[in-house]
Amino acid sequence: MTDHNDSDLPEGQYKLRLFITGSTPRSTRAIENMRRICAENLEGRYDLEVVDVYQDPEATKDLQIIATPTLVKILPEPLRRIIGDLSDRERVLAGLDIAPLGKGDHE
Amino acid sequence: MNRPSEFSSIEHSQLIELQDRLREAEETLDAIRNGEVDALVVGGPSGQQVYTLENADRPYRVLIEQMQEGAVTLSEDGVMLYCNQRFAALVGADRQTLIGESIERFLAGEEIFAFRRLMTLDRGFGRSAELSLLASNGLVVPVNMSIADLEVDEQMPKVLCGVITDLTRSRERSHELAAANLRLAREIDERRRVEDSLQLALDAAEMGHWDLDLLNNTLTRSTRHDQIFGQVNGVKGWGLLTMLSQFVPDDRNAVNEEFLRAESSGSVEFERRIHRLNDGAVRWVQVKGRTFYLNDKAIRISGVVSDVTERRQVEEQLRQSQKMEAIGKLTGGIAHDFNNLLMVIGGSLDMLDQRVAKNEKITRYLTAARHGVERGATLNQQLLAFSRRQDLRAETICIDDLINTFANLLDRAVGEAVTVKIEAAPELWYCRTDAHQLETAILNLAINARDAMPQGGTLTLKTTIRMLDVQAATANGASAGDYVAVSVADTGVGMTPDVIERVFEPFFTTKEVGKGTGLGLSQVYGFARQSGGFVSIESCPGIGTTVSIHLPRATSLEATEVVADTPVEVRGKGIVLVVEDDSDVRAVASSLLEDLGYSVLEAETGSEAMKLMDRGERIDLVFTDVIMPGEMNGIDLVRAMKIKHAGIPVLLTSGYTAQRIAMAEMAEGLQLLRKPYTQVDLSLAVRSVMKDQA
Ligand SMILES: Nc1ncnc2c1ncn2[C@@H]1O[C@H](COP(=O)(O)OP(=O)(O)O)[C@@H](O)[C@H]1O
Ligand SMILES: [Mg+2]
Repeated sequence: MTDHNDSDLPEGQYKLRLFITGSTPRSTRAIENMRRICAENLEGRYDLEVVDVYQDPEATKDLQIIATPTLVKILPEPLRRIIGDLSDRERVLAGLDIAPLGKGDHE
Repeated sequence: MNRPSEFSSIEHSQLIELQDRLREAEETLDAIRNGEVDALVVGGPSGQQVYTLENADRPYRVLIEQMQEGAVTLSEDGVMLYCNQRFAALVGADRQTLIGESIERFLAGEEIFAFRRLMTLDRGFGRSAELSLLASNGLVVPVNMSIADLEVDEQMPKVLCGVITDLTRSRERSHELAAANLRLAREIDERRRVEDSLQLALDAAEMGHWDLDLLNNTLTRSTRHDQIFGQVNGVKGWGLLTMLSQFVPDDRNAVNEEFLRAESSGSVEFERRIHRLNDGAVRWVQVKGRTFYLNDKAIRISGVVSDVTERRQVEEQLRQSQKMEAIGKLTGGIAHDFNNLLMVIGGSLDMLDQRVAKNEKITRYLTAARHGVERGATLNQQLLAFSRRQDLRAETICIDDLINTFANLLDRAVGEAVTVKIEAAPELWYCRTDAHQLETAILNLAINARDAMPQGGTLTLKTTIRMLDVQAATANGASAGDYVAVSVADTGVGMTPDVIERVFEPFFTTKEVGKGTGLGLSQVYGFARQSGGFVSIESCPGIGTTVSIHLPRATSLEATEVVADTPVEVRGKGIVLVVEDDSDVRAVASSLLEDLGYSVLEAETGSEAMKLMDRGERIDLVFTDVIMPGEMNGIDLVRAMKIKHAGIPVLLTSGYTAQRIAMAEMAEGLQLLRKPYTQVDLSLAVRSVMKDQA
């Protein structure tokens, strides 16, 4: 994508929403991965909501969710959806438009 | 034609945006194709539907399997479609044998109807009932069964799900709870009984109960408490201040301090005066209590209160009579010595009278001196009367007769300024007492009345009957029964309470030197006590005084003794042994006897007298003092003589007659000559004893 500059972190709060399906193994993994990524890269400047589509199916409508788990970056713009259990860290960081912190460009 | 320009108008950023969205869509499709998702969300007319893929609901299954409640799904008629492990364990059967079975298999009798009611009951969201399951091993398991309709799909047949909770433990617990409740109820009962009997005991002790809450300053009181304070219709909301205001102003500070002190000392106890509300009477109350603490802070003081006015009156009475008793002993001792002195002076005068050549002057001096001795003797009689060592010559007399015989004397005694009124009793009442002493007592009262009315007034002498019950009698230090009260009332200056308190004390007088001796009321007091009665005084400064002598009423009339004629001395012959420890008195007695014609032997002690008799001296009469120091007094001497020298007559003499009782045990006929005696008294006594013997 754009340049992978170490110090080039976007300014401002991150508003994230993670859609899951109850306590399935994949959903559970998605939650764990998400928390780790946030803690390592967005410390103190993110706002994460986890939505169980079993409990609140209507919540999928606005953000046009078609499958779970799906992570949605609402802010900063542009809006991005990342599907799956979020175990591919690189892909997630790219989707969030964040360069990995203190690690090389490649794992 | 516009196309290239349109196309070129798409900005670079928009292009990137479109690229990203395309990739996002591809990724989504890939994820679904590769099975990287759990569920698909499909919009429909009835809202968003979630379609789970794979074993997405496995965790719920595990949850249901693992939970401690039995779980079943049932068809409408109770056939089990699913049950968890816990339910199988509950009914003690294999899971495989249960599916397809009716759950009613495990319900006995009545319970089936209860279950069916539950199934058909108002098909609302959830409902539950307590049932008993009959397990395969025969055990009955109490359970709670809650049932809910499981709405999965409209096309699906009706399914219900049930959760079954084992109540065995909680039943056990509620049994334990019930048992604990029962114990508690019994304890409460027991406490209430204890409280009841405490209440009874407090009532019996006439004690009130109070409880002062220090945190919000409220005082709770029992009914008896309020009665003691004269609070008839219970007023709510007492605080410490309300309590303090009940006490007389002089005592309030002290009471307040007692309560303050109680907060640190842990207890309170005092006796103070209150103004009783209903009648305004001043009463003594005793307050006792204990302080209760919470975290070292005094939070309440609780205790009892009782009215101790009567007890204090009795104590005061006792203290008074003990004081009088002590003074009486002291006075008795003085009177004894005083008698001996009078004896010496009087006896010496008698002898001087016979030995000196008389002229008019000498005769006048002698008369004056003898007069002095007589007055001394009268005073001494009063002292003796007070100390109750007077010899009472008791006889049954009619009080009104007696009063009538000396009404004249009374008139003369009080003078012309005072009007004497005598109110006769409605009947004739009798007393057993010493008429002379009673006369003296009435005379003493009349003289006091006169002195109290220097400007004149009225003296009323009256007799009444008073019936005393035990309580009234003990308050006066007497025994219950009928009393004849002889009272002398005047309209004079009256007395203040502190004077009343002391009037019976010998030598207490408010009169000028020479006018009062302070012995008048002492005589009245001693005489009344010795007669088995008592004296009461009512007096009000400026209004007057009534003093009443109470004498026990006698039932039968006895013959009154005949009073002898005026005596003259009688001379005689014989040898008299005079036993007396006081050498002056002994010398006087010997001289008097020698003068009367007797020969005299002297002994200083009882044992010396015995020695003389043992030696075989001729002795016609032993004249001995009763009270002598040493191992043998007069009475002992008489006892010793009874054994060895029974033939020798004895005449006793004494300044006071406390030994009367001891003498009463001895042979009758023993005569006693009261000191101080005149030569005439002595001559008559000696003659009568020797004549009896002859
Ligand atoms: N009737 C009375 N009225 C007022 N005071 C009295 C009366 N009787 C006695 N008292 C008081 O009691 C005191 C003692 O009386 P009492 O023993 O008779 O001695 P005295 O008369 O010699 O003083 C009197 O001094 C007087 O103060
Ligand atoms: Mg007097």
